[in-house]
Amino acid sequence: MNSTALSFDALERAVAALPDNGLSALRRAALEQLRRDGLPGAREEDWKYTELSSLIEIANNWLDQGAALPAPSMRAAPDAIDATWIRIANGQIDDDSITGLPDGISVKRLSDTVPELAPAGRLGDFNIALLHDGLHISIGQDVTLQRPLGIHVCDEAGDDSVSQVRINIDVAPGSVASFVEYQVSEGEADLYSNSVINLAVADGARADYVRIQNRHKRHNQTSHLTVGLGKDARLRHTSFDLGGRLVRNDLVVDIAQPGAEADFGGLYLVGDGQHIDNHTRVDHRVGPAVSNQEYRGILDGKARGVWNGKAIVHEGADGTDAQQSNHNLLLSRNAEIDAKPELEIYADDVKCSHGTTVGQLDEAALFYLRTRGLSRRDARRMLTRAFAQATIGRTPVEQLHDFLAGAVDSRLRELMHEGDQ
Amino acid sequence: MLQIKDLDASIGGTEILRGLSLDVSAGEVHAIMGPNGSGKSTLAQVIAGHSDYEVTSGTVTFKGEDLLELEPEERAREGIFLGFQYPVEIPGVNNAILLREAVNAKRRHQGLDDVDAFEFLKLAREKMAVLGMDPQFLNRGVNEGFSGGEKKRNEILQMAMLEPSLAILDETDSGLDIDALRAVAEGINALRSPDRAIILVTHYQRVLDYVEPDHVHVLSDGRIARSGDKTLALELEDKGYDWVREAASA
Repeated sequence: MNSTALSFDALERAVAALPDNGLSALRRAALEQLRRDGLPGAREEDWKYTELSSLIEIANNWLDQGAALPAPSMRAAPDAIDATWIRIANGQIDDDSITGLPDGISVKRLSDTVPELAPAGRLGDFNIALLHDGLHISIGQDVTLQRPLGIHVCDEAGDDSVSQVRINIDVAPGSVASFVEYQVSEGEADLYSNSVINLAVADGARADYVRIQNRHKRHNQTSHLTVGLGKDARLRHTSFDLGGRLVRNDLVVDIAQPGAEADFGGLYLVGDGQHIDNHTRVDHRVGPAVSNQEYRGILDGKARGVWNGKAIVHEGADGTDAQQSNHNLLLSRNAEIDAKPELEIYADDVKCSHGTTVGQLDEAALFYLRTRGLSRRDARRMLTRAFAQATIGRTPVEQLHDFLAGAVDSRLRELMHEGDQ
Repeated sequence: MLQIKDLDASIGGTEILRGLSLDVSAGEVHAIMGPNGSGKSTLAQVIAGHSDYEVTSGTVTFKGEDLLELEPEERAREGIFLGFQYPVEIPGVNNAILLREAVNAKRRHQGLDDVDAFEFLKLAREKMAVLGMDPQFLNRGVNEGFSGGEKKRNEILQMAMLEPSLAILDETDSGLDIDALRAVAEGINALRSPDRAIILVTHYQRVLDYVEPDHVHVLSDGRIARSGDKTLALELEDKGYDWVREAASA
């Protein structure tokens, strides 16, 4: 149990006050489930390093004050990313953004369907219980999207608030689609955003998914992305965590059909007062199939990072190739990373490996750059940037590279400036 | 240009240089030879400002300034260039970008504007052609996956772009085949001018067939045991380093 418990009476009132629609029964069921299970606590292995108490406090404050969803402020998505943007602001869907979409993309509100919502742990129940509405996005059969579909999640915290995002995405057989999830927030009050996204990539389909989190530094996020891969389906995924205070991202990849390929990874830049946790899990239920993950972290000041990569090769999943690596650059003595690769193998014919490194900038390279006239600070920045470039370079949606390079540069400048203080 | 007086330097408490003195004037090429462990590379690293080496006594002045007070990057901007014996591989740092940043760091120090990107590339390509380098090397990571010879050519390219007042080339000739050696020597000779000085740190006489030194010094046990003109190098090649050691202890 958490030292801070969720206030269930207030939660129940909030659930009852939500609009009565196709989600009502699911909300009530999720509430009951949550009442039995509670939210994850630090005594659990998967939550050992990431304490949710501060988020529960924000939730309780918000629930006590009537659990209002502030009016959505419609902010423009970044111009630099050429995408078809769907927007969810303060947990509310922007209707204008889901009409007139290009051919091959259909979007429905979850409340207008009979939604099937896959379990996503206790935060998934918390998500459903308080869900205003969500989306079901379908990419039609044999469609190749010309532009990425952008999911712009923006929150503005005038008062303490909590918002929920829920999206199901189906990519039909033979389709090729790319997605950009862009989560940002503003406002000086406390905020906790909780998103659950399910991506089903059907037989022979290909999905590229880039997640960018650049929240205000006092705002918090938990996110859960589950990807199911069909026969010969392919996922390429890269994430960037630039902002936020307490951030926990879970990525679950489920390989239930042979021939699937999952390539994923991410970069987290963590500075003073930030705690960023990336948990991944890949289930190889059949073979042959390939998964390859590479995460990188740059931590400065009193930063805290967590990476936990789990690969499970189930019985009979012969021909599995599962690789994982995690590299961390600590720019200050006060920064801390908990890195843990986990391999569970129950099949015989498999190829698996993992590698984790935690290190500092290479002194020989720093000296070399300084003998070329670069200041120590510029040399440090150049080497740090080179470390980050490996993740930018592997990001699937190529048109994002310049945008990401700019965003990473600007965050690194802040981070390393904070570190110099 | 460079005056070294009674220099003692150590690394990790082990004394390497013991009372080394050397005077290098503008326009001169000095060759510093000596057996392994005699302190040749230490001298190069101390002049460049490596913090692992501790100067325990003596002075080093460069253009009349106390060099030992300056950070490595300040020394570089003042016109000192060290060609590394083992150039560092830096994956992810683009060779062209480093080259431009290095040139701009020096220009800013001199109160000049940054180089024009187009002119810069044009000049770099010209210099590369002289060194027999494929222009593709500009787009690669610094020394990343370069062969030994390619790394040394890259050092000479950096030197050619930076136009230092004082270049210290630490065994730049080692491990080169004859074509690479000629290209590197050509790069060094192109830099020779009445207002510049070059210190060639080398184990072998071979490079001196291509770059003719004004002075040759032999280092032994951390100090200069013998100095002479280019004939000293030939004599060394003939008699070996033991001859100098014996002469020094006699």
